[in-house]
Amino acid sequence: MLGSKMTTLRAFTCDDLFKFNNINLDPLTETYGIPFYLQYLAHWPEYFIVAEAPGGELMGYIMGKAEGSVAREEWHGHVTALSVAPEFRRLGLAAKLMELLEEISERKGGFFVDLFVRVSNQVAVNMYKQLGYSVYRTVIEYYSASNGEPDEDAYDMRKALSRDTEKKSIIPLPHPVRPEDIE
Amino acid sequence: MAIQQADKLLKKHKDLHCAKVLKAIGLQRTGKQDEAFALAQEVATLEPTDDNSLQALTILYREMHRPELVTKLYEAAVRKVPSSEEYHSHLFMAYARVGEYKKMQQAGMTLYKIVPKNPYYFWSVMSLVMQAISAQDKKLSQTMFLPLAERMVEKMVKEEKIEAEAEVQLYYMILERLGKYVEALEVVRGQLGEKLTSELQSRENKCMSLYKQLERWPECNALSCKLLLKNPDDWQFYMSYFDSLFHLIDQGWEPPSEGEHCSEGEVRSSVAQAIAFVEERLAVEEAKETRPLRGPFLARLELIRRLRARGCPEEQELGEPLELMFQYFIKFGDKPCCISDLKIYLDLLTTDHHFINRLMETVPLSEPQDDGVALPGDTRALQRHLCVAQLSRALGLHHALDTTGKLDLIRQLKSHYRHGLQFGKSCLKTELQFSDMYCLLASHVYIDLWAETGDETMLWQCLGLLEEGLSHSSSNAQFKLLLILLFCRMGAFEPVVDLYSSLDAKHVQHDTIGFLLTRYAESLGQFAAASQSCNFSLRFFHSNQKDTSEYIIQAYKYGAFEKIPEFIAFRSRLNRSLHFAQVRTERMLLDLFLEADLSSSLEDNVKSMGLCPEEDDIPWTDMRDNRDLTVLTSWDPADRQLSEEQRSFSLQEELLWLKVRFLTLRLVGTLAVLSHPPTPRNAEKAAENGVVAKPDILRPLLDQLNTTLQNGAQFLERGVQYPFLGPSPTRLAHALASGSCHCQVLAFQLAAYVQELDAAALGESRPRMTLCLSELPLLEILNKCKGDLLEVKEGQCKTQPTLLENLVFFVETVCVVHWVSCFCAGVLRPLKASLQKRKKKKKEPISATMVVFSGFQEFTAGLQSLFSEVLDHIKGQETSLTALKLGELTLEEEEAFVKLAMDKLRSSYLRSLQELGDLLKKRADVLKSLKI
Repeated sequence: MLGSKMTTLRAFTCDDLFKFNNINLDPLTETYGIPFYLQYLAHWPEYFIVAEAPGGELMGYIMGKAEGSVAREEWHGHVTALSVAPEFRRLGLAAKLMELLEEISERKGGFFVDLFVRVSNQVAVNMYKQLGYSVYRTVIEYYSASNGEPDEDAYDMRKALSRDTEKKSIIPLPHPVRPEDIE
Repeated sequence: MAIQQADKLLKKHKDLHCAKVLKAIGLQRTGKQDEAFALAQEVATLEPTDDNSLQALTILYREMHRPELVTKLYEAAVRKVPSSEEYHSHLFMAYARVGEYKKMQQAGMTLYKIVPKNPYYFWSVMSLVMQAISAQDKKLSQTMFLPLAERMVEKMVKEEKIEAEAEVQLYYMILERLGKYVEALEVVRGQLGEKLTSELQSRENKCMSLYKQLERWPECNALSCKLLLKNPDDWQFYMSYFDSLFHLIDQGWEPPSEGEHCSEGEVRSSVAQAIAFVEERLAVEEAKETRPLRGPFLARLELIRRLRARGCPEEQELGEPLELMFQYFIKFGDKPCCISDLKIYLDLLTTDHHFINRLMETVPLSEPQDDGVALPGDTRALQRHLCVAQLSRALGLHHALDTTGKLDLIRQLKSHYRHGLQFGKSCLKTELQFSDMYCLLASHVYIDLWAETGDETMLWQCLGLLEEGLSHSSSNAQFKLLLILLFCRMGAFEPVVDLYSSLDAKHVQHDTIGFLLTRYAESLGQFAAASQSCNFSLRFFHSNQKDTSEYIIQAYKYGAFEKIPEFIAFRSRLNRSLHFAQVRTERMLLDLFLEADLSSSLEDNVKSMGLCPEEDDIPWTDMRDNRDLTVLTSWDPADRQLSEEQRSFSLQEELLWLKVRFLTLRLVGTLAVLSHPPTPRNAEKAAENGVVAKPDILRPLLDQLNTTLQNGAQFLERGVQYPFLGPSPTRLAHALASGSCHCQVLAFQLAAYVQELDAAALGESRPRMTLCLSELPLLEILNKCKGDLLEVKEGQCKTQPTLLENLVFFVETVCVVHWVSCFCAGVLRPLKASLQKRKKKKKEPISATMVVFSGFQEFTAGLQSLFSEVLDHIKGQETSLTALKLGELTLEEEEAFVKLAMDKLRSSYLRSLQELGDLLKKRADVLKSLKI
């Protein structure tokens, strides 16, 4: 089933911000302030990829970055946002976008790719597991809630890249951590 | 606290610059801008060179929105410490913040001379490119800036000093902008091109774009095929392959008799080869164990369409479109995207019914239930059935049904919707229900029925159905969007506030869908909500300027050169946003309606909002329409979808209405400016001394308003209609029909007349005023507000939202008349006094001027009775709305949800009436005491 996304994949540009409502009106997709997008576009433009359908609609996008110390073998690719419009789900598009981000991270010599996901977002957690990611640690109350509901924990999920031959980067931590303890 | 600490420090060290600046920041943040600025300048004139002071001043100036002062600061610093890499680098960034490209170019080179690091050199090169991009004279760009930039890069290339990918990227940008595609191609394909590694397929994508520019169709053709062999699902390369194919055929291209076809390898340049290529890709997919890719199947349809357009009989070799689309449905019909894939090719079909019937036969459904509807047994079957329904709509089959047919269709769709809910019982709150789209489809058919028959029951049923849908699928944005649209069209804004806020639209979305909120809030009489809506958007636009500048600087730092012009264009797109100009204007009008000459004087209001009536600062000629007009999902046939022409009409209409509003605002502002300063002046003396009167800005603005209204009327004569799910019409038509525009123009005319009277200083030779205040046609507007907003007739609920909109126009016009009369009173008061003085001296016949005075008294008396009439009307409406029994209606199954919608509507009407009534009461009280 993977790969049946029939799409044009290209770099995300500022003009796409005016067209991504069908993706971002989803309750789990955050619309960030302009500085946030511009920061990624200025610093890691290659990590911000959008998928466009033959009809011109935006199908989904991935936004990420490279960070961490090379010396401490923590240089890695990070997935900041990944979202697919409802109409274009169940096509393996998210998997394809993840694959691209992993490939870029490989080229940059990263040791692993990581991401944060809501503990409750079982659909996403399962998808990442299928793509080879495992829970590295739990971050307590990582997502702050706005409407009086309790803050939510996040899984920090990782997948080792080829540079980490012994897969040291993904050995799970025994205890959960607090948001202030993560870099 | 910070200020105290800084003071303490300053006591010990009187001249500690940094402490002063920190104090200034404290002052700035506590709203003492003037003090802060003075203190900062105290330090700045000393031209500090310590890092702390410089950085603190930079922060302060940025917060003051005075980035140009940062450049002065570092100019002084590098003068004093000419070898500092850091200060030179800050100076470069300071220039970048204000877009001083020429100075950036020099600063970059100076930096490079101090520290020969490549990035500094290329900052300088990029600054040349920016000079080229921003130059008014495009010839200068092509003959001077870009060639200079090119030479600068060439120098580095020759000296083999090119290090980073960003540098190659910049070289490519320069060559591309110079139109030197051959040279650009050499760079990309050569050794330098090997550095282009960050972005995936960076070299291939650049080559492809250059081949197209150069019309090197053989290379374009061969590269497309190569990339398709690697990824048979990448749609853009099918497009470039087919484009190149037909170019080559038209050129009569023949492959060379020996050797490679071209530098990219094999060219497939005949129709036969193209057909074979697509069929090979298909064969690979067909042979797969796993689910096939969609690309090759759609590429076949695309090729058929292109061949058919050229009249090539070979299209038949690829198969019959109906059959192929049928097969496509068999393969991919259980994917939600099947509809968007196939709808592009529906025009290839000749017999729509046959197609739909064949599809339907393949959908596994149960035996028909009691209501005669056969239902799917799982989500895959449901999705297939849903896709057929969507395709039927896209083929226009829903529209072709008569009323009975449509009602029956709705019944079936609802049945499918409710039945399908069982599959989504375990869905989380954040997920959609599998059958949600049936609900939306049924709503669309209800709207069709309403549009055709005018039967409002259809809209009520639609509202009820969507409320029902939302109760099962609380995060469905499409339900919310359509509810917002429907409530607004029915005159109810109150429910819209919660619906919109639950969409959690933020930041840039204020620009793209904020119009949903701002279009109706004010026009439906919810001024408080309207103010708030405008504020959401304004806050976003105001932060844009500062925000984007910082990231332009970041792009230099990280060498993302191609992003710099993109960010600048983005900033300009936001600054020139139609919505921005609209919310700015409406926000000011709203402030005036709600406050001016009530809680504070019109003059104070105008002054505090910094409105300068002489100035037109809206970029009319280059306005950007950033509205997302297709945010509401529509499966309508192509000819019923929003067309480019309708888009441009909508923008035209928005601009006309904005102009009306902006001119109204400026006219009101002029009244404030003209009556300010309110020093008692001796008109007689002024006239005797030949002092020139205040410049007349009222007349030219009034002329512009008249012209715009004429243009507006002409526009409306065209009778432009938009799709229901597309843009809403502006208030223009109602404004003209209500008579409020006419009345406001007359009021302003009166103000202009009175002002001229003042200027002529009781000159008895002035023509008699042709109109008195008391003759303003306010009553005519009021008469168009009379009637019941909501009534129940023969068991049917009927609304008349136009009455509410007219009432709002009445209120707005009353405000304008109020300001005009205050203005007139202000002018007439001293005139009357001096006239009476003169009359005592010598007997004069009753002059034309006296008629103005007596007219004024009649007018204020008349207004009072008008006020009591309208307030009675509002009271009456409130009473009857409250008394209306909405529960007794004979509603069927969805009774509860329709009732819910009705209650929301009633509550909203009541709120609008209350807001309008309150405002009118306040105005009535103030006007009571207005005398001359």
